[in-house]
Amino acid sequence: MKRSDRITGLIILAAIALVAVSWIVMHRTPGTLAVIHVDGKVIATVDLTSREPQTLHITGVLGPMVIVADGKGSIRVTESTCPDQICVRTTPARSPGDQVICVPNHMVITVEGKGTGIDALAQ
Amino acid sequence: MRKAIAPIVAVIIVGAGLATFFALHKLPEPVTSTYFLMDTVLTIKTTGGDATAINKHLHALASNVDSMTSYYKSESETVHVNAAAGKGPVSVSPEYAALLKAAVAVETIDHGRTFDIAIAPISSLWGFTTKDFRVPAAKEISDTLAYSHSDELVLSGTTAQLRDSRARIDLGGIAKGYSLDVMEEYLLTVKPQPRQVIVDFGGNLLLYSGGRKHDWKIGIRDPRGQGIIGYVRSGDAFVATSGDYQRYFERDGKRYCHIIDPTTGYPGTLNQSTTVITTIQPMHGALGDALGKVFFCSTAETQRSLFHTVQGQGITGIVIVDAAGARSTLGPITLVPTAVQ
Repeated sequence: MKRSDRITGLIILAAIALVAVSWIVMHRTPGTLAVIHVDGKVIATVDLTSREPQTLHITGVLGPMVIVADGKGSIRVTESTCPDQICVRTTPARSPGDQVICVPNHMVITVEGKGTGIDALAQ
Repeated sequence: MRKAIAPIVAVIIVGAGLATFFALHKLPEPVTSTYFLMDTVLTIKTTGGDATAINKHLHALASNVDSMTSYYKSESETVHVNAAAGKGPVSVSPEYAALLKAAVAVETIDHGRTFDIAIAPISSLWGFTTKDFRVPAAKEISDTLAYSHSDELVLSGTTAQLRDSRARIDLGGIAKGYSLDVMEEYLLTVKPQPRQVIVDFGGNLLLYSGGRKHDWKIGIRDPRGQGIIGYVRSGDAFVATSGDYQRYFERDGKRYCHIIDPTTGYPGTLNQSTTVITTIQPMHGALGDALGKVFFCSTAETQRSLFHTVQGQGITGIVIVDAAGARSTLGPITLVPTAVQ
């Protein structure tokens, strides 16, 4: 085998490795993340893949709210100062696209994460 | 030596080509904005174009519709018409008159009369306007039903009149869909065009990709939990969902949702959710929004006959989850079920 052939082979291998690595990096699935908004601004993010239960005391536009991530992948509102309590009754959010909304408090929890391929949710 | 250079050059060219492909393949980052109006959430996600400015303008347009149609805001045309109930005709803007006509047109499509903007006094009886919920007595409901009917509404050019002094109209069942119509009309004029705009306005979606003809995958929310029951595919569209799972109250283990069946005066109980997909045409956002309630308050049999009536009018398809949780579709769409997550 000629020396130049060996160099060519190495370069091709390196190129293939580079493409493969960038492909994996670009398509890596991030962990499922709950993003908490109040009045359109992100006030907290919670990693739902964490096994550690977490309680957040936040302030909505109406007053205090308590949000609990159970350490098993779900997040919900447990207490809210709002008249209708729709947010407290909402099924806990866990999959990408799930939402818990409190309109009076201008609070939205949205679960983000790749893998559903869904553009929009009819709800 | 010269022979050795040729493959190196080839590899570099291929590498550069791949890099360019990946760079161009990636969409610009979307800009998502969240607003609160009409007692719900408005989320706008724009990709490409002057996304931030587009989101702001779309929100302003929705605010205008809110100011015009609100049941509560003292300067709205709805409050103006309601305040004059029983006193004679009042003049309204041409835009408002057109919206009232569109609402009444839906009522005529529906022989069963399951959409009625004049049902407001009944909704108040149940406490949906004040959130002071209660189950009214049967007598109260039948007494109130006597004047909670759009026959009380007289439209003539740009004047509107409620004949009975106790009659009230509420455009809450059509205003969100109509806002999407106004937004879509504006988006058509925007330069440069955004690649994609997804507007979610309290259960009403606008899916816009301009001339790109994007093939959208629309998830259908599970009415009895989080997550989706499946998805449907569609081109650019308005998608309106009426469900019993967001606004409701419970008394003695019974669920009372905010969508009132105008024929009975009681909340609809025949379905858990109905999703109406309409094509991008003027006033089809409003049409879909109103039809969502019509299908929500109808039996499977009525749904099928109604669908035949409206099929030629820009309705792409309907996804139905009935009271027992059974799923079905009307029209040339397929609900692809998702595996239980």
